[in-house]
Amino acid sequence: MAIVAPPSRFSKYGRPVLAWAVGLLFFFPIFWMILTSFKSDADAVKPEYLFVFQPTLENYLNMTENYDYWRFAKNSVITAVSATIFTLFVGIPCAYAMAFNPSKATKDVLMWMLSTKMLPAAAVLYPMTFLTKSLGLFDTHFLVIMVLSLINLPIVVWMLFTYFKEIPKDIIEAGQMDGVNTWGEFKEILVPLAWGGIVSTALLCFIFCWNEAYWTVRLTTTEAATLSKLIEGNRAPEGLFFGRLSAVSAAAVGPIVVLGWFCQKQLVQGLTFGAVK
Amino acid sequence: MSQRTLPRLLQSPAVLLLLVWMLVPLGMTLYFSFIRYVLNSLRRPEWTSPSLSNWRGLGNYEFVLNSKDFWFAVQNSIFIVCSILFATVILGILIAVLINKTFPGQGIVRVLLISPFFVMPAVNAVLWINMILDPVLGLNGLAVGGINSLVEGLRDAPLVGWFFSMWPEFEPISFRATQTSAYAVIMMVTWQWTPFAVLIFMTSLQSEDQQQKEAAILDGASTWSQFRFLTLPHLGRPIAIVVMIQAIFHLSLYAEIEIVSRGNGNKNLPYLIGEFANNNIGAASATGIFAVILANIVAIFLLRMIGKTLME
Repeated sequence: MAIVAPPSRFSKYGRPVLAWAVGLLFFFPIFWMILTSFKSDADAVKPEYLFVFQPTLENYLNMTENYDYWRFAKNSVITAVSATIFTLFVGIPCAYAMAFNPSKATKDVLMWMLSTKMLPAAAVLYPMTFLTKSLGLFDTHFLVIMVLSLINLPIVVWMLFTYFKEIPKDIIEAGQMDGVNTWGEFKEILVPLAWGGIVSTALLCFIFCWNEAYWTVRLTTTEAATLSKLIEGNRAPEGLFFGRLSAVSAAAVGPIVVLGWFCQKQLVQGLTFGAVK
Repeated sequence: MSQRTLPRLLQSPAVLLLLVWMLVPLGMTLYFSFIRYVLNSLRRPEWTSPSLSNWRGLGNYEFVLNSKDFWFAVQNSIFIVCSILFATVILGILIAVLINKTFPGQGIVRVLLISPFFVMPAVNAVLWINMILDPVLGLNGLAVGGINSLVEGLRDAPLVGWFFSMWPEFEPISFRATQTSAYAVIMMVTWQWTPFAVLIFMTSLQSEDQQQKEAAILDGASTWSQFRFLTLPHLGRPIAIVVMIQAIFHLSLYAEIEIVSRGNGNKNLPYLIGEFANNNIGAASATGIFAVILANIVAIFLLRMIGKTLME
């Protein structure tokens, strides 16, 4: 006999109403940013135009003029995409070897990789500035790509490892019996089976790269500056430019928020390192 | 090729890269923390380049420990992190329990709720401190102004006018002031990270033992005692994970603090390191080592917990 609690009045009306209220409340700041982005700078600070106003696209059309948006956006795309590709390029073989040929050291190596993620970035601020400046790498795409790759590599290896571990070893062994070599094994068996996992790892890595706000701000000036740097540089407009600032902010986070909706599930795994199931 | 060579070869690029990434800068920080090293000095030009002959021993550590800024930064770091943790865990549990049952539009509410987590920290801070919390032009100022003019209007109303004329004029709080800028940071980070806590608690709630729950209902357990004695213990582990992961992330908050008040009255350890690094590299490095120690205290517990589930 299944026991179903009688539906209380709360679960019928209270829960949906309260849940929607909480959801809307949390989304409100984003909604507000989008709404403000369609107001002119003058209207954006007037109480009489809070919700009813003459919508305008000028803030979006003038993003290049006002902020040189596309230059920063281009840098964000270049660095985040390259870093994601590079991280996967290094991370996939590593996770593959760990999942299918684990040795006694595998667990320790994984834990050590994770521990590098826990070092506070600020602790190595000056050495990084010093090294990159003396190597002539300061404010270059190459540097930003490398730094983004390295800070995300532990998470990527972990996520891929947890996906690869789910693949039954028998399948790989059957392949070996049939005389498939390592590359074939990898290409014909592993990639098709773990495709979903690889894609969501890549998406999450891309999101983290895009949102990174310490090294991208501290190790760039103009050439390789990303959107984080752009927004940080316009931190306090004192109300003068709420409209245009909202537009550039909305453009910087919009695509990523949408992308994030598609990898909610992987986020839990990616950020808790498989410790919450 | 032997059985072991290929796996090692496949792992080595990742391991080597991370090894260099960790050891080289950290080794330099450790070295700089023991020498006198400043970027500009008219009187002592020999201190402007790193050299063993400028050995200072534990002098930088002593200097840092004796500076008022350092202790303020440590206390402020802990205050900010603990406040965020407290708020996100409580809100996270409440919201996760609230939306874990099916209701119309559950999927949409989930999407709305998770969105703040993907907003980049710089945008989060600029959005909150300007458009929302600004005491004059943000929603904060507009709302207080609205209440004031409403009260103002009611003062002349018949019958109740005397009541409202006794009300004060409300003042909006400025979140850029020295005492309040930490609250602004706490608010915006809580907004961003509550979704993370909700997501993890929901994942965990879905694996809760339903039969046990049904048995409890049969025994006439109230909703509160079901929550208190079944759900909450079940969430113990996820709570610990959320606390530790967030602690590690929030100990290195930077963009929010920079944007809200440029660290004015609201420095944390990373910010203090940045300030020292403008000139006194020795002190910046010693502070960096303290930050590493602080983060490691949390990290050891987290790693141990993750390690337990790793090979399951």
